[in-house]
Amino acid sequence: MSYSITEPSSRQKWIAGILVVGYALLTLLPLVWIIATGFKTPADAIAYPPKVVFTPSLEGYVNLFTSRSRVTPEDLAALGPPTTWYDAIVRQYDMVITGPSRYGERFMNSVIIGFGSTFLSVFLGTIAAYAFSRFKVPLKDDLLFFILSTRMMPPIAVAIPIFLMYRELGLSDTHLGMILLYTAVNLSLSVWLLKGFIDEIPIEYEEAALIDGYTRFQAFYKVVLPQAATGIASTAIFCLIFAWNEYAFAVLLTSGTAQTAPPFIPTIIGAGGKDWPAVAAGATLFLLPIMVFTILLRKHLLRGITFGAVRK
Amino acid sequence: MSNFIRGLMRLRRGPWEMVATILIAAGVVMLMQPLALVLFTYSFLVTLVGTVLFIIVSHFPE
Amino acid sequence: MHDDLAQRVAAATPPALARRLRGVSDRTIAWLFVTPTILLLLAVNIFPLNWTIRLSLTNFRTNRPNNPVEFVGIENYRKILTNPDTWASLQATAHFLIWTIVLQVLIGFALAYLINKKFRGNDLWTTLIVLPMMLSPAVVGNFWTFLYQPQIGLFNYFVAFLTGADPASFSMIGEVSLAPWAIIIVDTWMWTPFVMLICLAGLRSIPPSIYEAAECDRASKWRQFWTITLPMALPFLMLAVLFRGIENFKMFDLVVQLTGGGPGATTQLTSIDLKREAFEKWRTGFASAYAVILFVTVFGLASIYVKALNKVKDR
Repeated sequence: MSYSITEPSSRQKWIAGILVVGYALLTLLPLVWIIATGFKTPADAIAYPPKVVFTPSLEGYVNLFTSRSRVTPEDLAALGPPTTWYDAIVRQYDMVITGPSRYGERFMNSVIIGFGSTFLSVFLGTIAAYAFSRFKVPLKDDLLFFILSTRMMPPIAVAIPIFLMYRELGLSDTHLGMILLYTAVNLSLSVWLLKGFIDEIPIEYEEAALIDGYTRFQAFYKVVLPQAATGIASTAIFCLIFAWNEYAFAVLLTSGTAQTAPPFIPTIIGAGGKDWPAVAAGATLFLLPIMVFTILLRKHLLRGITFGAVRK
Repeated sequence: MSNFIRGLMRLRRGPWEMVATILIAAGVVMLMQPLALVLFTYSFLVTLVGTVLFIIVSHFPE
Repeated sequence: MHDDLAQRVAAATPPALARRLRGVSDRTIAWLFVTPTILLLLAVNIFPLNWTIRLSLTNFRTNRPNNPVEFVGIENYRKILTNPDTWASLQATAHFLIWTIVLQVLIGFALAYLINKKFRGNDLWTTLIVLPMMLSPAVVGNFWTFLYQPQIGLFNYFVAFLTGADPASFSMIGEVSLAPWAIIIVDTWMWTPFVMLICLAGLRSIPPSIYEAAECDRASKWRQFWTITLPMALPFLMLAVLFRGIENFKMFDLVVQLTGGGPGATTQLTSIDLKREAFEKWRTGFASAYAVILFVTVFGLASIYVKALNKVKDR
């Protein structure tokens, strides 16, 4: 009988598996609860004991996307029968829909600012990382350390001068201002991650390409870029997640036109106090893309996290 | 220990980085400790000296 | 070596191409590629930092732009560093910092150790555990206030179920004695996976041959853990501790949504305190000095972090 002495026994594996799965289920409970609360009626959401089994309702989502106002029963009767299913839901509460809410706009702002800053920081990060990886840049170590340390600064402290500067330049509460700011913050991460990925590509490939008559530029985008594609993709996901989740700068530097979803979702309120199903619905729509992303792209993402923190 | 002192005398990077690290760590502890206000008052000075020292000595030879 | 290569390239390329090669030298490309990054970071980091330092020596207030701006020297620094309220907020930060690190390292390392037993499906479960740290702290923190509601909150119900206490009898975010723990629990829930991933990288970096040798020497599993596993994973643990330490030193979004610094000032961490000074009281000069103190502290910690990083990298 042959077995590896370092391989855990199957009993050990079972115990480890049960403990880890137990922790995972516990840790997922709040997330499951967010998704479930989004499909509850306000009454079910605040029921005691907490309702695990309930009749799903789309009230939260209707309240999330609409603004409503209360009318008297006489006025309601005068309006005639509801024309749409969401109208019907709202009218149970003696309310009528007066228009769309701001959630859609805020969500779109998150998309625009998230993708815009991701594109810029990955583009600038890739070329800078290539230069740091392949050429002698004067003061390279100091520059790299400076780039890293910018990311570690407390956002509130950074926001004080940015706030004044943006006010002078007319960049406060604009998409461009937020894109530039998130690009600058993400750039440090993208340079560090991408330098690690590009360092791993053997330099011989480029040398061969140069001998074949490629220019440096051609060698860069025909040889290095395809090789670094997975690294670039996972860096892009990290930048996108940061910009998507960012709150401190967004709450301080935006108020109306360029406000993203994270500062907006906590401010959703209903008729009498906090409308938790609507908040949960907003949170679900906002968090779900990231959850799906994480599960689908787990191989690259998990590697990237440790890579970013452990490798230089 | 004598190696450490010799390294300091000959301006080597390793031991000096150790000194700077200890200063920074001491400054951070002083900043957040609940024991004496006077330590809190001088914490920033200690951290600042440690950080500046770190930047300088990281350019010393190994 | 590079000259040699250049000659080979020059010999092998037609004259027009060679001219183009010489036209854009490596040095030019290096500058071309690095400059935009440096310029953007100068504009968004160095220039504002310089501005912060200058403001920190004045009594400037953003909400009173017409007041004369006076140079006050290190007066703002003196005020902050002798202010018991600021000191209290740094102590609150320390309490938060220490307990989140202790809990996250213990749970994170244990999880990494278990996952490293390579049971079936461990990568999927690892991903599910990692989910909380990928999400927006502000949005998730806001929802946790719902879980923390007395009576109706899921967390209170859960605790009541386990201990038999009345779920309406305590409020995690409303009570002075519980609020500091409320933020520690959510931060631990959110960031334990990060420590776990770093520890996992550390455990996987240990070559199996070392364990095989220990097994031949008949070292017990317990002894192997203390003499091989822990010392070999320790540099990674150090990195995780430093990284989480820096992150939680500047903690803002999660806690501001959870407790807003209250009740009273029990969970008023440094960043929340700074936000009040800068964007509610608008004492810009004072807040700038505060910001500079935090900058220097984080910069110092970051240098230690990079030093630790180089140690791990050299392995």
